[in-house]
Amino acid sequence: MRRTAVLRPLLAWALLLALAVAWLGADFAFGQATLVATYAIAGLGVVVIIGQAGQIVLGQGAFVALGAYAQALLVQAGVAPLAALPLAAAAGALGGALASLPAGRLGGLYFGMSTLAFALIVEELLVRWESLTHGSAGLVVPAFGLAGWTAGTPAAQAAISLAVLLAVLAVCARLLASRLGRAWRAVREDEAAAAACGIAPAAAKLRAFAVGGALSGLAGGLYAHWIGFISPEQFGLVFSFELLMLAFIGGTRRLAGAAWGALVVVAIPQLIAVLRDTLPGDWARSAGLELMLFGAVVVGVVLLRPQGLAGGSGR
Amino acid sequence: MLAFLQVLSSGIAIGCVYGLVALSFVLIFKATQTVSFMQGDLLMLGGFAGLALHLAAGWPLALAALAAVLAVALLGAGLERAVLRRTIGQPHLVAVLLTFGLGMMMRGGVASVPAAAQDMYRLPFAADTLVLGPLVLAASHLWVIGATVVLALLLAAFFRHTRAGIALRACAEDARSAALMGVPVARMHTLAWALGAGLAAVAGLLLAPITFVHLNMGFIALKAFPAAVLGGLTSLPGALAGGVFLGVAEALAGLVLPEGAKDVVPYVLLMAALLLFPTGLAGGRGGGDGR
Amino acid sequence: MKRLRSLALALSAVMAGAPAHAAEAAGVSEREIVVGHVSDLSGPIAMLGTPVRDGMLMRFDEANAAGGVHGRMLRLVVEDAGYDPKRGVLAARKLVQRDKAFAFIATMGTPVVMATMPVVLDAGRLHLFPFSPHKATYEPLHPLKFQNFAPYQDYMEAATRHMVERGDYRRSCLLYQDDDYGQEVMRGVEAGLGRLGRPLVERTGYKRGATDLSSQIARLRAADCDLVVLATVVRETVAAMAEARRIGWQVDMLVTASGYSAQTHELGGDTVEGLYGVSVLPHPYAEGANPRLAGWIERYHARFGTAPNVWSVMGYTLADMFVRTAEATGRDLTPAAFARTLERIEFAGDDFGSPAYRFSADDHLGNRHGRLAQIRNGRWELITDYLR
Repeated sequence: MRRTAVLRPLLAWALLLALAVAWLGADFAFGQATLVATYAIAGLGVVVIIGQAGQIVLGQGAFVALGAYAQALLVQAGVAPLAALPLAAAAGALGGALASLPAGRLGGLYFGMSTLAFALIVEELLVRWESLTHGSAGLVVPAFGLAGWTAGTPAAQAAISLAVLLAVLAVCARLLASRLGRAWRAVREDEAAAAACGIAPAAAKLRAFAVGGALSGLAGGLYAHWIGFISPEQFGLVFSFELLMLAFIGGTRRLAGAAWGALVVVAIPQLIAVLRDTLPGDWARSAGLELMLFGAVVVGVVLLRPQGLAGGSGR
Repeated sequence: MLAFLQVLSSGIAIGCVYGLVALSFVLIFKATQTVSFMQGDLLMLGGFAGLALHLAAGWPLALAALAAVLAVALLGAGLERAVLRRTIGQPHLVAVLLTFGLGMMMRGGVASVPAAAQDMYRLPFAADTLVLGPLVLAASHLWVIGATVVLALLLAAFFRHTRAGIALRACAEDARSAALMGVPVARMHTLAWALGAGLAAVAGLLLAPITFVHLNMGFIALKAFPAAVLGGLTSLPGALAGGVFLGVAEALAGLVLPEGAKDVVPYVLLMAALLLFPTGLAGGRGGGDGR
Repeated sequence: MKRLRSLALALSAVMAGAPAHAAEAAGVSEREIVVGHVSDLSGPIAMLGTPVRDGMLMRFDEANAAGGVHGRMLRLVVEDAGYDPKRGVLAARKLVQRDKAFAFIATMGTPVVMATMPVVLDAGRLHLFPFSPHKATYEPLHPLKFQNFAPYQDYMEAATRHMVERGDYRRSCLLYQDDDYGQEVMRGVEAGLGRLGRPLVERTGYKRGATDLSSQIARLRAADCDLVVLATVVRETVAAMAEARRIGWQVDMLVTASGYSAQTHELGGDTVEGLYGVSVLPHPYAEGANPRLAGWIERYHARFGTAPNVWSVMGYTLADMFVRTAEATGRDLTPAAFARTLERIEFAGDDFGSPAYRFSADDHLGNRHGRLAQIRNGRWELITDYLR
C-alpha cells in the first residue's frame, strides 16, 4: 500500500470534518461524524459482499440488528462495552454465515431474495423472543464506557467511531490483497472459471458473508450505544435498503466507497433539513419535499455515476 | 367449517391483490430483465390518482378509475423512456436502486400534498355484502377476485392473439433473435413498463375499498415479492398462483397456527420454496440463472 | 500502516479535547423563543404528525399576533424523524445545537422519544408532552421531563373495568397491534379485568400494516367473546368492525384513544355504529359546536385548508399550555423557572372540553383519566364523565 494513496484521502476527510466543525458547530459536526463513521462500517459489509464477492444481498440490516442486540444484551449482563464489541461482530458473522447457506443452491437474484427472507425472519424473531429481547418494546442501551469513563460527548463518540472505522478499513485492505480477496474477485467475475482454478466458490461466498456480517455486526454494536435505544423495526427492510444505497452511491468496488456513501446517506437528509429552514413558505415544511429530494439524489447518482462516487472499475 | 370458508374467501381476495402486484413485477422482469422495487409506489399512486379524479375533480368513478390506470401506465412508459432503459445490461442491483429512488420520489410527491399526507380515504364502491346461504361475502372481495380473473383472461388473450403480445413474448424469450425478426425491442420494453405500471394501479384501486387509500398502502408490495418468487419470477400464471397461494396460506395460518405465526408464513414459505424448488413452483423453465 | 494509526490517534485526541457548548437558557433571546418539535411527517404515524404540528403552529401564531410572550416571538422548528430513532437523534442534535431550542415539545413515536430524550435532557432542555405511552417519559422524576397523557395502560385499565361493569361482560377478548402500543394496552386490559376477577378469554395480534383481519376475527368469534377490546389504529378498527359485522357477529367492541377519531366513522360508515371508544379529548365537530369552538374550527380551516381533528386539538392544547406557562414564568425564562411554574399552574377545562391538567413537584404526569364514548348516528358521543 502506497503512503500517498492512504494519506491523501485521509487529509481530505480531516479537512471535511474541520469545515463541518467550523460551519455547523463542533457538537453537531461530531454527532454527524459519529453516525457517518458507524454507517460506513456497516456499509463496508455490503461493499465486501456485493463489490468484492459479487453476491446480491438485500437483507444486510439483519446483521446490524444481530450485532446491536448482542451488544445490548451483553452490556446489560455486565460485560464491558469494549469486550462486547468483538462478540457483536461475531454475532453478525454468524448471521452472515447462516444467510449465505442458500448460496449453494441459488444464484444471483434468487439468492438475493433469500437474504431478504432471512432478514424478515430475523426481525420477526427479535419481536417474538420477548423474554430475551423485550420484543417490540425495545431495549435501552447504556452509554459506551471504559473503566468508569463514559463516552458522553459527541466528540468522544466520533473519536471512537472513526478509530474503529480506520482500523477495519486497514484490516479490509489487507484482506482484499490476500488470497481470500483474490478468490472473491475471481468468484465475482466468473464462478466457473474460479472453480476451475481451484477456488471453492461456496467457501469463498461463505467467508465473504461472514466478513461482511461481522463488519455490519460491529457497526450494530456501536450503533446501539450511540442511539441508546434499539427495537426490531429499526433494522427492517428500509434500513437494509439504506445500506444498499449507501454502498452503491459510494461505489461498491472500492473500500472508500462505504465512507462516501455513508456521508451521502446520513448527511444529505440533514443538509436538506438545514437548507429547507432557509426556504420561505409552508410548502417547504412538508415532509414530502425531503423524501423527494433524497430520492432524486439516489436516482441522479445511479444514472450519472453508476460506479459510485468513489468510482473505480475494480481492482 | 363456516369460519374456515369465510377466512378462505378473504385469503383468496387478498391473494389476488398480491398476485396482481406480483404479475406486474414479473411482467416487467421478464420483458426487460429489470427488477422493479417501485411497484408498491405505483400502486399507491394509482389509488390516489383515482381518488383525486373522483373526489376532487368530480369525475364519475368508472371514468376516474380508468383514467387513473391509464395515467399510471403512461407514467411507467415515460419513466422507461427517460431513465429506466439505461439500466438494461447493468447488474440487477442498479435497477433495484433506481426504482427504489423513483419510488421515494413518488411517495415524497404524494406526501407533499397536505390532504394526502394527513388522511386516508375510501373510494365509494363495493361497501355491501353478498349473502350465499350461511356464507357472507364482502362485495369488495368479490370485486377483487372478479377483476383479477378478467384481467388474467385479457392478458392471456393479449399474449396469445395480438401482434404486440406475441412480439412482447418473443422479446422476453430472446431479445436478440426477436430484434433480428424485426420486433422493435425498445418499444416492447416501453409497452412492458406501461402494462406493469397499469397493473399495479389496478391493484391499488381494487385495494382501495379494503385498506382505504393512504400513503403507506404500497407496503403490500412487500408480500408480492415472495409471491413472484414462489411463482418462479418468470412465469405470469405462476405469479398469480403464487399470490393466491400466499394469501390463502397466510389467512389460514392465522386461523390454525399459534398466535404470531401468520406474519412469518410468507417468508418461511419463500425460504422453503427457494431451497426446495430453486426455479420456482411453476418453474423448470429458464428461471435459475437470475442474471 | 503505522502512519495511519498515529494519525487516527492524533485525530481522536483533537476531538476528545474539543469544547462542548454551554447551554444557558439556550433558545431564549431578546426577541424570540425557539421551540423544537421532532415529528413524524412521513412514517407510520404521519397522520397524527401533520395535525399536531398544525395545531401547535396555530396557537403559536395566535400568541405572536397578540404580541408574543413578554415581547418574545415564538418560533416552532419542526424536524421530521419518520418514526426512525436514528433520524430522531440527528434531528434532536440539530435542534439542540444549531437551533438552540429552549424546549422540545410533543416528540412523536416511542422509538424516537426513547432515543432523543437523553440528548434533550443532557443538554438541559425541557422535554414536554411527548407522544409516547412509555412510563419513562415522566418517571423517574426529572426536573425537565413532563408528560401530559398517561400510558395507554392507565386509560385502558379504567376503561375496561367500567365497560365490563356497565355491560356485565363475561368473556372479554383483545385484538392488538403487535408492538409496544399493543403490549401496553394488553397490560391495562389485564389489570382492569384482574380487579374484577375476570379472565382475558382470548387475545390475538396483527402486525402493523396488516391488510386482512378475517382470521383474527374468526379466532375471536370461535372463543365466543362478548366484548372485544381493540388495540388498533383507525384503519384496523374499521376493518375489525367491518369483518365482524360481515360475518354477522354483533359483538360489542371498545377501541383505545388511537381509534377515537372522526376518520373511524367517516371511513367505516354504518359498520362502526355502536363502537365504544376511549376519549381523552373530544373530537371538534363543527356541527353543534359552541360559538367559540366554531370560530376556532373556521380559523383552522382557513389557515390549513383541512378540517381540524382530535390531533389538531391536542397540538393546539399542548402549545397553549406552553404559552401559558411561559407567560406565567415571566421575563426571566429559564428551563428551571419554566418547570417550577408548570408544577404550580392548574389547567382547567377549555372550549374543547379537555380534561384538567395538573402537575406537581413530585408528579410530572398531567392527566390520568379518559372517558368513554360511543359512535351514535355517525359521530362520537361522550357517554361517561372522566373515569376514576
